[in-house]
Amino acid sequence: MTTLTTREAIGLVLAEEMTRDPKVVYLGETIRDIGATGASRGLFDQFGPARIIETPVSENGFFGAALGLALSGFSPVIEIYSADFALIVANEIINDFPKWRQQQRHYGPLPVTIRGWMGASGGLGPEHSQCMEAYFHHAPGLTVIAPGTMTDMAGLLRSAIRSSDPVLFLEHRRIYEMSGVYPANADYCIEIGCGEIIRDGIDITMVAWSHMRHVALEAAQNLENESISVEVIDPKTIKPMDYSLIAASVEKTGRLIVIEESPLTGSIGGEIVARMVEGVDRGMVATRVAMPDMIHPYSASMEKQILPDSDLVIKASKKLINSRAIGAITKNPFL
Amino acid sequence: MEEKYQMPGFSKELQEQFDSIYLDTDGYKKIFQIMNLSRAFDRECNRILKQGKMVPHFHSGIGQEALMVASVFPLRTTDQIIYTHRGYGHLLAKGVSILEIVLDTFMKAGGTNYGLGGNMHVTRPDLGIPGREGVFGTRFGIAAGIALAAQLNNSDQVTLCFYGEAAGARGILYESLNMAVLWKLPVVFIAENNGWSFSSKTKWLFPQSRMSRVWRGFDIPVVEFDGNDVEATYSAVSQAINLAREGNGPSVIEGITYRVDPHIWYDDAHYQSNDEISLWESRDPIEIARQKLIERSVDPVTLDQIVDLAFNQVCDAFEIAENSPEATWNDSKLAVI
Repeated sequence: MTTLTTREAIGLVLAEEMTRDPKVVYLGETIRDIGATGASRGLFDQFGPARIIETPVSENGFFGAALGLALSGFSPVIEIYSADFALIVANEIINDFPKWRQQQRHYGPLPVTIRGWMGASGGLGPEHSQCMEAYFHHAPGLTVIAPGTMTDMAGLLRSAIRSSDPVLFLEHRRIYEMSGVYPANADYCIEIGCGEIIRDGIDITMVAWSHMRHVALEAAQNLENESISVEVIDPKTIKPMDYSLIAASVEKTGRLIVIEESPLTGSIGGEIVARMVEGVDRGMVATRVAMPDMIHPYSASMEKQILPDSDLVIKASKKLINSRAIGAITKNPFL
Repeated sequence: MEEKYQMPGFSKELQEQFDSIYLDTDGYKKIFQIMNLSRAFDRECNRILKQGKMVPHFHSGIGQEALMVASVFPLRTTDQIIYTHRGYGHLLAKGVSILEIVLDTFMKAGGTNYGLGGNMHVTRPDLGIPGREGVFGTRFGIAAGIALAAQLNNSDQVTLCFYGEAAGARGILYESLNMAVLWKLPVVFIAENNGWSFSSKTKWLFPQSRMSRVWRGFDIPVVEFDGNDVEATYSAVSQAINLAREGNGPSVIEGITYRVDPHIWYDDAHYQSNDEISLWESRDPIEIARQKLIERSVDPVTLDQIVDLAFNQVCDAFEIAENSPEATWNDSKLAVI
């Protein structure tokens, strides 16, 4: 039993996958040292410059190069310095990887794994704090993953690297310092597209992923003291989303809350609620807890005033349990 | 008031550096044949467009055949090309059949991409044609990546990356070239300077009307050549390919040519003057090649036969395509994600 931080686990999965498959190469900025997230510590010494390819700050250039490598039989893993910067290469991520994959799927796989850390972690400001999954889940043909624990990071990163399709792998900064037991099996994979019921309950279904999974669990534990039984689902993969798992739970509880760190408009939660309303054959009430449609401030304390937390989730749950319809719940920092 | 149009000149000094690789007459004849196939395809598309039929995404390469074909001709099958959307000579020279191009153009079953990419995304990895991006620019990164793969595999494969005025103005060329120089990648970037970017003159978009000169700062070979001359093109590109294959890294070479036809079928090319077009028609690459071959004692009758054969091959391909079924989602089932 090895206990590792998420940072260490990601580094170890990269090392194990590069050892397993000589076609796995790693590209990114500052990765010859430790990389943006610290995950690549030691990899250059272990694998050398032909496998750990430090690039200039040229995202379009090296994302394009990753496509060229994938078309040549390699399985590139590319690190984006902060997931917010994925917007620089939205053209490659949305217009090139998935469309190339469709146009020539019959010729072979297109394994490109894009990893980047994301999310609000206390005062990094508007361009280094966003959760990026909502920007990208609209793109057909792109797999988007946002795990919430060290073990899930390990199992899903391995699956992403082994996948034949382009994958956007989003790692929340707040999960980096968390620890867990590293799976001893060097082939430990979690199936892409499979969510997990991480807490059983009968009154309310909560759906939360990435860092918000922990917020939902905390709220669920508190609500138990008030005799509200909450089922918590972590979908882990954002696209394809495990809708059938969520639907089965909502059929049981009749109540749904999706908890999301991103701004409300255009959120993943909007899509989940819509699918459940469309597909669940029973009376139900649903709402969303999210960040208001605002831009992250640099001030950490002001940031806290707009991010969803367990108190907000508890408040939403109590409202939901007694309502036939409630609006989405966000914080209002101006009160 | 627009100044009178002048033909672009060439730096003699720059040209002479690259006049050293000889093209033998058999090779020249082969190039002449593929140029005629490319020309015949474009003419047939123009003809049926005039009849009011659709030719989806057709971008005529008339006038640019020498540059397209003589650049690709020196390559091996395992070498890779990233082609441009204009003209089909790159593909033909790399070994794609005229029938496949016609089938892809008309979204018929049996082409290279099952109606999912049309003639804009002709793909034959087995011939060194990995496909083409839809938003011009990623090609530079892709080319660098393919060249990096060759380097990592210790292969002597070379990648040619063709580009026009549009892609060449995007910043990713700088990013990719920087990596290619830094890592000495076996890639050749070939600028196709055809005077126009849709309705914008090249001289409105690039200093001194040249797409390559800015890259001299990388201290790599940056060369301009007469892109309407088969021998000049063959020589310049061969030299750059040899440098890349021998591990000396990338070059940027620029063929000066001219887009005789409009940008695309719906374009009336009102912005292109007749003087300009007729000046360039007098430098028609196929006519120049024909004269050169006659100077090399090739029988004009043989050349006429090559022209006729190309025309017949194109007619046959169009006829087969006409009678071929449309591509459907069921044909392309494998391609659906």
